[in-house]
Amino acid sequence: MANVLGKVKDFFGGLFKRKERVSADAGERNNWKAWLYLAPVIILLAIFTFYPLINTVVIAFLKNYNYTTGLSDGFTFDNFLNVLTLAGRTTTQETIYRWNTTYDAVTKTYTGIDSDGIACTVYFQTDVIKYALPNTMLITFITVPASIVIALLISVCLHSIKAFQKIFQTIFFVPYVTNAIAVGMVFAVLFDSKGILNYIFNLGDSFFWIDRAAPWSHGMIALCIYIVWHSLPYKILIFLSALQNIDKQYYDAAKIDCAGKFKTFMNVTVPMLSPQILYIMITSFIGSFKEYTSVVGLFGSPSTDGGSTKNMYTIVYYIYDCIKQPDTVARGAAAALLLFIIIMIFTAIQFQVSKKRVHY
Amino acid sequence: MEIRLKNLTKCFPGNPKKGIPDTYAVNALDITVPDGKLVGLLGPSGCGKSTTLYMIAGLLEPSEGEIWFGDEDVTDLEPEKRGIGLVFQNYALYPHMTVYKNVAFPLTNLRIEEKMLDENGNQLLDEDGKPAVKRRKLTKDEIDKIVRETARVVQIEQFLERKPNQLSGGQQQRVAIARALVKKPKVLLLDEPLSNLDARLRLQTREEIRRIQQSTGITTVFVTHDQEEAMSISDEIVVMKLGVEQQRGVPQEVYNNPCNKFVANFLGTPPINLFKGKIKGNKVYVGDQVVRDITEKDVPDQDCTVGIRPEGIIVDPNGTFDFECGRILTMGRDIMLMSKHPEALSDTKFLIDAFVQVEVGNVKCTVKPHKCFAFSLEGDELRII
Amino acid sequence: MEYDSRNFIQKLFGMKSREQKQAEREASAEYQAIETSSMTLVIKEGHTDAAQLARAQKVGKIIGSIITYGFLLFMSVIILFPFYWMIITSLKSTTEIRGNVQTFFPVTVLWSNYITVFNTFDFVTYVGNTLIVGVISTIGTLITTILAAFAFARLNFHGKDLIFSILLATMMIPGEMMVITNYITVAKLPWYEFGHGMVNGWLTYKDSVFASMIVPFWVSVFYIYLLRQNFKQIPNELYLAAKVDGKSDWQFLWKVMVPLAAPTLISIFILKLMGSWNSYVWPQLVTAKDESWRLVTNGLRSSFSTSAGEPQYGIQMAATILVTVPLLLLFIFFRKYIMKGVGRAGIKG
Repeated sequence: MANVLGKVKDFFGGLFKRKERVSADAGERNNWKAWLYLAPVIILLAIFTFYPLINTVVIAFLKNYNYTTGLSDGFTFDNFLNVLTLAGRTTTQETIYRWNTTYDAVTKTYTGIDSDGIACTVYFQTDVIKYALPNTMLITFITVPASIVIALLISVCLHSIKAFQKIFQTIFFVPYVTNAIAVGMVFAVLFDSKGILNYIFNLGDSFFWIDRAAPWSHGMIALCIYIVWHSLPYKILIFLSALQNIDKQYYDAAKIDCAGKFKTFMNVTVPMLSPQILYIMITSFIGSFKEYTSVVGLFGSPSTDGGSTKNMYTIVYYIYDCIKQPDTVARGAAAALLLFIIIMIFTAIQFQVSKKRVHY
Repeated sequence: MEIRLKNLTKCFPGNPKKGIPDTYAVNALDITVPDGKLVGLLGPSGCGKSTTLYMIAGLLEPSEGEIWFGDEDVTDLEPEKRGIGLVFQNYALYPHMTVYKNVAFPLTNLRIEEKMLDENGNQLLDEDGKPAVKRRKLTKDEIDKIVRETARVVQIEQFLERKPNQLSGGQQQRVAIARALVKKPKVLLLDEPLSNLDARLRLQTREEIRRIQQSTGITTVFVTHDQEEAMSISDEIVVMKLGVEQQRGVPQEVYNNPCNKFVANFLGTPPINLFKGKIKGNKVYVGDQVVRDITEKDVPDQDCTVGIRPEGIIVDPNGTFDFECGRILTMGRDIMLMSKHPEALSDTKFLIDAFVQVEVGNVKCTVKPHKCFAFSLEGDELRII
Repeated sequence: MEYDSRNFIQKLFGMKSREQKQAEREASAEYQAIETSSMTLVIKEGHTDAAQLARAQKVGKIIGSIITYGFLLFMSVIILFPFYWMIITSLKSTTEIRGNVQTFFPVTVLWSNYITVFNTFDFVTYVGNTLIVGVISTIGTLITTILAAFAFARLNFHGKDLIFSILLATMMIPGEMMVITNYITVAKLPWYEFGHGMVNGWLTYKDSVFASMIVPFWVSVFYIYLLRQNFKQIPNELYLAAKVDGKSDWQFLWKVMVPLAAPTLISIFILKLMGSWNSYVWPQLVTAKDESWRLVTNGLRSSFSTSAGEPQYGIQMAATILVTVPLLLLFIFFRKYIMKGVGRAGIKG
């Protein structure tokens, strides 16, 4: 996998470097044929990846974009402002800004003047800054380190045993082959106020995890436990196969050097696994920034509507909500672009930080 | 510290169901390595020498037998509790650490033992009446000083901040030695330490090993398949074959008096020349030529294998041995003649001074009797004379 | 470069270089007072005798393996418990599930939950939809993947590395960037009369919805990468030998490379099929018009969420089992292929 990371790095590096001309060699007889082989992939990617990528960026800057007609009122930054300030389904086609609105806590609506000077009301639906972004960040910064540490521990234990290794390995892989929605529903049963967890820990049936009356923090704990549970198998598999590839000699050397178990782990195992740890970090950072199905599975909906005390909105949930309404598609595009930028920034930071710590 | 191996055996169990027999990598080995000496374990690949070394290190568990360091039985101890130094065949330097950290790593795992003194500087005693000691971790300065001193000994001071993959084979090898030496072990083990080096570096490094060993006085065991390497630096060599010790002794002594055909054949480059021969009337014959009289004892008449060291054959116009010289190999100081002899078991090779004029064809030679051995044809092919 | 910048920063802040620091350190009195030759270095336990150490070591080993196995056992219980709970909950009545005392085995085993599921939740239709979508998109993916992987592994052409890098870079882009436009795209394609449900061509509206769940997923960059790695391991001599025998690239690909890469292709097939079975977001978007076109996962979450306020967990779990069991069966029969295919990602190469 180091190769993938390397290639991606090369690519970003290569964007700014002039490519040296490849001299003609015998292999170029294949030139046009090769393009034939690649044609299906390139055509499909062009239609469903590259064009959408550009188009989404464009849409994000269009005012009043209507995707059935494809018409818009030109360039604007409003979509981004809406994402970052007040977001949600509006009663009018227009949007209003937070700084000239009044908020009614009972009906949860904003009332005010929109940018065209027309009075309107906005139902309070979601607030990216207040809910979606903090939730997503929290999920990421809890579940990624937690699952990596647990997965590392399990893999190292698995690697150290001889008897039953295969059986344990299989058991730990099972959650990978499950449906996120289905298992989310199972967790919903486990976390039910009359469910087994409250029963075992004797919390009583008024201790709510995921119900409508549950406090936000409880919902977040349940969600994080579920996400970690579901993300362990892949990490364990990767770490274990990487562990099995480490030259046993280094462990022998550590023994000769009188290093204890923990010291060997920190000074030999972790550095030797660092390419895989980086790979897992980057992919799971990206993955948890896009957390969506786990919320659907566990909560059904993020309970943003009437009377719920918690809000489990995530950025991607917000994006999908926006897509469902024709008038908020552009806002969804803006949010997607922001998500992309956030992911890029985090990936770049991780590459940068890892430069000195990862040993290929 | 003296190392004693008692009846040391390593058996890799086979599979009786599939008819795979047990394999004895090392069989009932009894060796004593005297304190402060350098002993070379020597043998062709698969003779169990590395297995023996790994058992001494504790990385392999013996199936039977005991390993004693001084007066302590360490057979059941894990390697990290034995406090030995080991240089791996391909060094096993931690690729992610700088040379400095590689060398310092063992020190961070060790403790320093200090005598407990009272105010007047007298040794305090503990409850058992032994001198009381306390142990503490090494300080950064102490580690630094030891690392730098060790680096000086093996001459790697200028590489301390580099990573192992930025070093040449010889430099890596010295780093590996430094890492083994830095904890001042009582026992130093070297597993084929020179096999990854080129010929020139090998010569240089083996002298280095000898020098370091002598200056530190660490009991050292090293393993090699290269007999020249072993003979040149060892105080004592142990020749092994298929897990069984064949002969032990001072290198020159073993070379001069090999106990069987295997040892005679294994030691020496080019290898000893073997002929079909016989013993008759206390004389050793090759064909109808007498190569040696037996004066020491009476030997019954029998067929045997005669071995003549390459340097034991001398070109002599008046000689009685006739060889059919097929090729002359120039080797600089010497020339080597590849010759045929009707009784020889393979091509005969012998070395002569380069200034001697020889030509392809018939060459007359004489044989130095003390370079001739006769081996029994039976059993272990022990030396008769 | 790195060295230069460090020098610059050092000068800027008047920091000391490593050499200076070392020299200072060595000049200090404490440093010089250290007498290395007289030091006694010992292992952590000191000069304890070997027999004692061996005993302590044995005890430590036993404790260590107890902790290891204990931890693994504990984690396996956590991993497996939801499955167990899913099974027994599916056999319980709602009163038992919502009762004050939780039972670890159903008091009365209730199979009727499953019957209810089949009656209320159109499982067969959903599975049928999922299989159609899954199989067709998997076969399409295999074809495009084989062709592209072959081109990247064996053929030479201008810009090969650049294109491959671009493909790999797309793996880093969140799919949400594409979803919006793709949604608009399929809505505009001739086969999909958006919003009206009227199609003039030879495809029905339902067909076009299904096509929109299949065609965009005919390319997977990750599988191309995986298969390319596999193709690259096939020795070049085979290719040259085939050339000498007068085989074309096309014949070589299908007669030699594909059979040799069969294990990887099986892995891809199963993983892709599982992916279709689990897909949720996109089908949810494009099948909004008619629930009977949905895939199995979409059907699952939308059914029996509530019935008169109280969730019917028993029935929910029965449905969940019906969705989960096929996956587990696939896993049991193709464990090796699945784990190999998934694990390949982490190995260098």
